[in-house]
Amino acid sequence: MSAGLYDVAIIGCGPAGLQAAIHVCGKKAKVVVFGKPERSGLYKAHVANYCCFEKVVSGKELLQAGRVQAENLGAVFIPLDVIETRIENDQFHLVIENNESFSSRTLVLTMGITRKKLKVKGEKEFVGRGVSYCVDCDAAFYKGKDVVIVGNESAAVTGALTLSRFANEVYLVCRELEVSNALYEQLQSSSVKIIKDAWVKEIVGNSEVEEVVLTNGKTLAGNGIFIELGAKGAMELAANLGVAFDTDTFSFIETNKSQETNIPGLYAAGDITGKPWQIAKAVGEGCVAGLNAAQYAKRLSKS
Amino acid sequence: MGEEGLLDVNDGNFESEILNASKPVLVDFWAPWCGPCKAIAPVFKELQEAYGDEIIFARCNVDQSPNTPTKYGIRAIPTLILFKDGKVLDQVVGAVPKSQIEEFAKKAL
Ligand SMILES: Cc1cc2nc3c(=O)[nH]c(=O)nc-3n(C[C@H](O)[C@H](O)[C@H](O)COP(=O)(O)OP(=O)(O)OC[C@H]3O[C@@H](n4cnc5c(N)ncnc54)[C@H](O)[C@@H]3O)c2cc1C
Repeated sequence: MSAGLYDVAIIGCGPAGLQAAIHVCGKKAKVVVFGKPERSGLYKAHVANYCCFEKVVSGKELLQAGRVQAENLGAVFIPLDVIETRIENDQFHLVIENNESFSSRTLVLTMGITRKKLKVKGEKEFVGRGVSYCVDCDAAFYKGKDVVIVGNESAAVTGALTLSRFANEVYLVCRELEVSNALYEQLQSSSVKIIKDAWVKEIVGNSEVEEVVLTNGKTLAGNGIFIELGAKGAMELAANLGVAFDTDTFSFIETNKSQETNIPGLYAAGDITGKPWQIAKAVGEGCVAGLNAAQYAKRLSKS
Repeated sequence: MGEEGLLDVNDGNFESEILNASKPVLVDFWAPWCGPCKAIAPVFKELQEAYGDEIIFARCNVDQSPNTPTKYGIRAIPTLILFKDGKVLDQVVGAVPKSQIEEFAKKAL
């Protein structure tokens, strides 16, 4: 299924990604969609303001219908998180959480938005002095040290594995892990110590982080805590490719009216490009991104 | 000089270029693999264009120069440190909004 080159790869299967996929299929281009429907902002929503649905509809049902619709048109769905992105020889290369790789001519980013902050005591105070939000950036500063990483999903687990190559002890604190079996097995055969059914209550230290207090009453001594909630998002999967962000917040990807980013062949749509966070905007942008990505890929395939 | 207007500093020349500089210096500690570092790079360049007469804008690649970040207790990148008269005036960590970086830079004036 992963073999070959796709015209369009879409990261995210919320309304933006689904609509993009539908329009890519309409252009008879080959498309693969990554992501977990239950992680979409829409999954738990009850929607009353989306055009043409007079009665309240469940977000979950909308997502399921969109997926079936796209699948019937030929879209391939891979319900796993993307953990790495690269551009090589004008192609996009993606690695997913079971370590499979995919290549495409164009890429559409529709990862939505997720909470990145823990909102616990000590978090803000110790940013840069033990609190970090980017394993890929900061793991090397923790050579031989003891570190804690918190999160339930692929960002935390891949982050813990990366940290285990640098740090002395790595403690992964999670409520319950929601990752692919392959990634879970990798974690279990690593040196990472998993602490389940727990969360971070407080981060303690003097001039820098010294301890992490957990909700289960235990305290972990450590020099650092990495906060990696959810899956990897825009900063982790797009900034490394050179994608421009809005400089007011550095939270959103900048696009023009064609949903193009500053990187050729790379598009973004939906919540990830900024407010309003609404289905109508997500599908509108997804449609434009899908059409343009398909067209761009077709031009490349002919040249 | 690296990218136009930006001074590249390293473990070897940090003291001579930064600590003995005649003007305040804003140093961006970064690494090529760091996404947020890439994200703020255009803002850093814009500020250099705006304040380059009063402040020296420098970049230190922590991958190539591991000693300097250790000396300044850096544990996350991007970190921006503002030096005045050879001393650390202030620092800011992470991809923070442009307005915040600008306010930070203006502390040197
Ligand atoms: C409680 C609630 C109620 C809401 N009610 C309404 C409403 O009534 N009307 C309305 O218009 N809007 C509503 N919204 C907002 C709406 O849900 C969002 O605007 C919409 O879902 C955005 O779509 P999206 O496709 O951009 O992102 P999302 O729907 O959030 O989808 C993002 C997708 O990206 C995937 N993803 C993220 N990272 C990765 C990765 N690394 N690899 C692979 N996949 C990844 C996720 O798994 C997910 O599938 C509501 C939101 C919430 C939370």
